[in-house]
Amino acid sequence: MTQAISQTTTSREAFDVIRTENLTKKFGRVHALAGLNLNVAEGAVYALVGPNGAGKTTAIKILMNIFGPTHGRAQVLGMESTQIAGGAFTSIGYVSENQQLPEWMRVGGLLAYLRPFYPSWDRDLEKELVKQFDLPLDRKLRHLSRGMRMKAALASALAYHPKLIVLDEPFTGLDPLVRDELIEGLLDRAEESTIFVSSHDLAEIESFASHVGYLEDGRLRLSEELGVLVERFREVEVTLNAPTTPRSKVPDSWMHVSTSAAVVRFVESRFDRERTSGDVRNLFGEVRDITYTPMSLRSIFLAMAKAGRNAA
Amino acid sequence: MKQVLHIFRKDVRHFWREGAVSIVLMVAFAWNEVRQWNPSEAYVFGFNRFLTTGLPVILLMLSWWLVVARVVQGESLVGDRQFWITRPYEWKKLLAAKVLFVLLFVNLPLLIAHVFLLARAGFMPAAYFLGLLWMQVPVLLFLLLPVAALATVTATVVQMLLALLAIALYMIGIAALSSEIPSADFSSGTEDLQGAVLIGTCLAVLMWQYHQRRTLRSRWVLGGAAVVVLFMIVVTPYRKLVAREYPQFDASQGRPLRLELRPIETPVTHEDFYDGNDVEIQIPLTVSGVANESIVRVNGVMSVIESPAGPRWDTGWQSNGVTLFPDQNRTEITLNLKRKIYDRIKMLPVRIRLSLALTVFLDKNQQKFVVPRGEFVMPGVGRCAVRSEYTNLIHCRSALHQPASLLVTTDISETTCPATQFDDALAAHGTMAHDWNSNADSGPEFSSVQSFDLNPTVDDRYGDSGRSARGICRGTPLILSRPEFLHRGRIELEFNGLRLLDYRRGIGQLGPIVIRGR
Repeated sequence: MTQAISQTTTSREAFDVIRTENLTKKFGRVHALAGLNLNVAEGAVYALVGPNGAGKTTAIKILMNIFGPTHGRAQVLGMESTQIAGGAFTSIGYVSENQQLPEWMRVGGLLAYLRPFYPSWDRDLEKELVKQFDLPLDRKLRHLSRGMRMKAALASALAYHPKLIVLDEPFTGLDPLVRDELIEGLLDRAEESTIFVSSHDLAEIESFASHVGYLEDGRLRLSEELGVLVERFREVEVTLNAPTTPRSKVPDSWMHVSTSAAVVRFVESRFDRERTSGDVRNLFGEVRDITYTPMSLRSIFLAMAKAGRNAA
Repeated sequence: MKQVLHIFRKDVRHFWREGAVSIVLMVAFAWNEVRQWNPSEAYVFGFNRFLTTGLPVILLMLSWWLVVARVVQGESLVGDRQFWITRPYEWKKLLAAKVLFVLLFVNLPLLIAHVFLLARAGFMPAAYFLGLLWMQVPVLLFLLLPVAALATVTATVVQMLLALLAIALYMIGIAALSSEIPSADFSSGTEDLQGAVLIGTCLAVLMWQYHQRRTLRSRWVLGGAAVVVLFMIVVTPYRKLVAREYPQFDASQGRPLRLELRPIETPVTHEDFYDGNDVEIQIPLTVSGVANESIVRVNGVMSVIESPAGPRWDTGWQSNGVTLFPDQNRTEITLNLKRKIYDRIKMLPVRIRLSLALTVFLDKNQQKFVVPRGEFVMPGVGRCAVRSEYTNLIHCRSALHQPASLLVTTDISETTCPATQFDDALAAHGTMAHDWNSNADSGPEFSSVQSFDLNPTVDDRYGDSGRSARGICRGTPLILSRPEFLHRGRIELEFNGLRLLDYRRGIGQLGPIVIRGR
């Protein structure tokens, strides 16, 4: 499953399905979120990534009005998050890794029970999802594997064509096959929905997200289109004509600069072939060779985390 | 409404077992109630009595609590992981679905049981329809609402049981505290307000939890209400409240009776020691001046005992229940004294100041009634019949409530009951026996049919009647009346030079004891 989603709705006319302003959440003295400013455009597949404890789940729970913010505000589908309740959830599909489902129900019973809650529930789509996820309708939820439960939850959250699909760590603990099935199910809905997904599994996110935000210690370190992000990060290896010594002053966009004899390596966070090449020559003079290696999302975030600074 | 019914149907599918258990116990309760009307059941005592009357009700209430807890926690309001909180549930509809479930699985079966009991007891249920509906209100407010509120702030039945345990400990603590606060057990004080605080808080928490799901704050609110009630119990000025409720009888009203100290009559040759913490002191009094068509009830007594050389002991207001009729010429006032105080002053001459909180009733519109044969309708009371298993009395069943006030008076010399070999000769003419059923302040009833006995007795401890009463049989003339509240007030009495030892009540003795020859 390596299909990438093309960016379809990032035009200026598109409104922000999710918008937060200085969103802050404190649990006692702990700042779970510290002034989060986030915009998710309509139609985007937005991946909120970050290490465990970064505040991803807290952010999502505030968006879903499960928690109230300590300060700041959040809007979802144009509505204040604190007002989201009841009928507002007919437009939102929410699935979380640790959601407590009514385990006494059978899969078919769950879908039948939820059906009347949603005016836009699509029986054909429901059948399609059941088939796609290979859901055993007559099995009780408590007897399902973790992966099957996630698929049942996702099916019950997709069958009514929600405008916004919110997934909190949906892939945690799932085997690759189930992950692919879930992602495939999601991608089939991507044309009609905005998807907001939190994960610390960067490899999976990379395969389908259109936008990515990196949250660390309750702060958003970056938020941008995935393609742009990947394009502006490169691992650069410069081979000089003669051994050199480390430079004390390098461009701000260079991260993890290391020098070994005549070879200098660094991560460029604002990659532009001409500009980067010019910066290298300004610093080292004529060089024998420069190679630019594209970075995976995982490598980018590792570099950022190690640098400990906002590369955005 | 569609969503309400949809959630309700889901709850029925999920919790039908709990509901069925509750209904089965309701059937058992109704069956047992009818069984209790059997004369032989009236004389079952002790643990067997508990098994036949208390246990079915307790089990039924437990099953109700389980139903309420399970159905509320079916969509748990505690936590942030429940699937339903991000689904299009309208909180009011969710709450309504839960209320509907409780109404159909608790209140409706209870209503049907009430209708069945009324019909079985010979009453027309339709005539009591509003009363039957009204009986559901205290069940909802006092039995189910607190449990529902508790269920909204607990995630599981086990958590709720732990909370109930904490509440039970709190109640025990409150009871212990109240018993230590002078006058608290007599004055109703702020009981109504305390009840309103608790019920209001439970209702508010229930609504708030369904609306906002702020569990921690709701728990604090419930805990806060418990603290407020505790505070109210401690700071209530009980004496002031009693003084306001029972003002001194003024001159215009006149005193409703005269009370004077009566000399001790019964000589006893030893003091009956026992190890209790309290010692009962009985002050014998002569009664006079109770107006015809009046009844005086001694609701409470406060005494201050002062000894010239010793301590001063103030009992605070203590509940009493002595009823004084116009034909009565003597009574006793019982005081409870701490043993250590008693032991210090029992031999000393003391001054006792008594304050009596009295309620005066007007006993007009007396009706003569001759007991018919078999089962009969007693006007304003219900269906009655003479029972003669152990004593001759009238057993009645009334619909919904016992009569708020029913006084049965009979001249025991006019009894029509045949004498047995154990009976003495009839008492002198004019020896009146009374039985006053006064239930104006009784709490809500659990059953729609109330059973009670009318068994007028004479206080013959002093040998006034000279004969034992044979009771009521077919043909016995009775006087029925419904004493009405007239006014309340307080009188003060003072007695000097009393030696408490002379007035101590001995175990197993009916009258005061007198120690001689010490």
